[in-house]
Amino acid sequence: MKRILSFALLALTLIASRADAKLNVACSYPWIADLASKIGGDRVSVSSLSRGSWNPHFVVPRPSLIVRAREADLLIINGAQLEIGWLPPVVRESRNPNIQQGTRGLLDLSTAVRLIDKPVDVSRSGGDVHPDGNPHYALDPHNIIPLSSAVAARYALIDPEGAALYESNLSVFQTEWKKRLAAWDSRLSGLRGIKAVSYHSLYNYFARRYGIMLVGTVEPLPGIPPSSRHMESLVERSRAEKLTLVLQDVYNPAGPSRMLAGKTGARLVVLPHDVGSVPEANDLFGLFDSIAGRLER
Amino acid sequence: MRKAILLVIFLYASGYAVAQDSDTGTGAERRRNAYNEPISEPFAQGRFIPDISLIADFSVATRDIGDERYESLEVPGLIHAHSHEGEDHHHAAPNARNGFNFNYGELSLYSVVDPYFDLFATFHLSEESFEVEEAYFTTRSLPLGLQVKAGKYLSSFGRTNEQHSHYWDFANRPLVYRAFFGDHGLLERGARLTLLAPLPFYLLIGGEVLTGENEASFGTEGFEDFTGANSVEDVNGPGLYTGYIKTSFDIGQFVVLMGASLARGKTRIDHGVADDPAENPEGHAASGTTGIAGADLTVKYLIDSYRYISLQTEYLYRALDGYRYDNAGTKAELEKRQSGIYSQLVVRFARRWRIGFRYDLIDKNEVKAGGTMADLPDTLDRYTGMIEFNPSEFARIRLQYGHDRSSYLYEGERRKINNELVLQFNMAIGAHGAHAF
Repeated sequence: MKRILSFALLALTLIASRADAKLNVACSYPWIADLASKIGGDRVSVSSLSRGSWNPHFVVPRPSLIVRAREADLLIINGAQLEIGWLPPVVRESRNPNIQQGTRGLLDLSTAVRLIDKPVDVSRSGGDVHPDGNPHYALDPHNIIPLSSAVAARYALIDPEGAALYESNLSVFQTEWKKRLAAWDSRLSGLRGIKAVSYHSLYNYFARRYGIMLVGTVEPLPGIPPSSRHMESLVERSRAEKLTLVLQDVYNPAGPSRMLAGKTGARLVVLPHDVGSVPEANDLFGLFDSIAGRLER
Repeated sequence: MRKAILLVIFLYASGYAVAQDSDTGTGAERRRNAYNEPISEPFAQGRFIPDISLIADFSVATRDIGDERYESLEVPGLIHAHSHEGEDHHHAAPNARNGFNFNYGELSLYSVVDPYFDLFATFHLSEESFEVEEAYFTTRSLPLGLQVKAGKYLSSFGRTNEQHSHYWDFANRPLVYRAFFGDHGLLERGARLTLLAPLPFYLLIGGEVLTGENEASFGTEGFEDFTGANSVEDVNGPGLYTGYIKTSFDIGQFVVLMGASLARGKTRIDHGVADDPAENPEGHAASGTTGIAGADLTVKYLIDSYRYISLQTEYLYRALDGYRYDNAGTKAELEKRQSGIYSQLVVRFARRWRIGFRYDLIDKNEVKAGGTMADLPDTLDRYTGMIEFNPSEFARIRLQYGHDRSSYLYEGERRKINNELVLQFNMAIGAHGAHAF
């Protein structure tokens, strides 16, 4: 019985490794999966562990994610502690030695960009703070260039035979991305100097890039839902600042933002934060097209 | 003058510190010492501090009966009141007192040891004691989806046993768990091997070899009755073996997790068999072999990032075959067939709010000693409801109401329905690792 069982297991392992000759890439978020498949092309098989309509801080660590992490040759994450509440047990329970911290099978993309808003005072009296800085760097479209290079470099390291393909996919992607960047930059140039409030500090990189002045957040502290007293003072401040835009994400309740917009005359814009957040954001190009389109309107 | 120089140096150094903080990218400018050389800390180990967290649990409780009577409540054939004189019972049931309770503190340490091992330790703190609740290592790099865990830890038997109390959905453990595994759960020294099967869905197969000290179903210490007529030897070496299989899959927004578990081990339970019958006429003990089988099902429907509906149920069956001894020198064949179930529905209806209801039932309670069936009640049940406010990820305030129909007062053997209301506060500070599903 034991012999049969161990033989069956061995056979299954062989089947599992044989059937998938492609590089198996697991990504924590859909935008990473899109980038990974654009650079990897046919040589990789990519999956995302979460959905674009979810709050990226809170993903339920379902056991099915453990299975996907177990099969991965490469795990690409956002980093900067965005996944700290859900990914560590998934990686640990996967028993996959190739994707543990410190191995080349784990790529933390936050190391490829410069993080902003690093808190000077790290204390949870400030809410759910990220000690390494704001993790939502992917929403500056200019960051996608170094991020794509980082993905290609890691692919080449793990799969040297495909290096030429990754290099050429990267160059095609970056050429197209730079073309689109120029278009987005000109479409969004009108935002410079306008004042905005966002629900969470989700659009800080985007705002910094396009000169939007963020004058407050609907949540009083990261991860803490707004109280009526906070909303009152935010309305007051927004009126004094002559607020133009209220930026709302797709996963937090829009009620307080709608109220703020109503009381201040600012325009409420629901912005996607990831691929798949809204139907038009079907890939990275679609994500920023959609952001630009929603802000222009 | 010297002060002034020191001040200048201090300002200079702090200026560098600020410069370095604001410029994490280059690393070219390093902090300098008093001699204006780059500071070198070749023996500094500060960065290797493990993740440390402290969880504290407090409550205010009020119930129909006084503390002493509450402590003497029993579940016939299943839970004996702890009235052992002199026995330290630090790790008691939570919310045991009317008024204020400090239920526990839980100090946890975790770190990677090296490329091959992770080490976890959890210390259970009560007002008077500091106990090692768990201390175990797990392997990081075994091939074929295998993992070894060894040390002292909460067994992976069933669904709830492995979870620490701060992660429970209610303020107390399910009735059948308390009946079969006691107030500590199945917490043992031992080792575990698990295999995450190489299949496209989650299938975890595990086996454990444990010491078997659990005081409610197993036990390792032998005994001799008061008269010296009968004695039972200690269990030497591991006395308890468990095996389990867990599987999970997603159907759209539904997450399904199912498991089946088995535990089988030697039983040595002594309830005063060495006591003088004149002082303790009830002194008795049991020895034999106990098997426990469990089946569990969790179905969680994820509505969005914050809201979910979770249904969880678990059924446990226990069979003991062995002997009963009393302190008058009698030895009789003993056979126990008992089972229980709990079902709970928990709804997180807003980001910070959860509400839940649990039903506990002992549906089978057959104890046959010396060929005679004991006259025991076999529908013992309990209803629990709770509402929870979580101001942040790190704090929880829970109001729980319990209507317990499973408890009997020792004297008179009569059912004592116990209503209780518990307001519980649970706080976590430091670096506490994320929880698994």
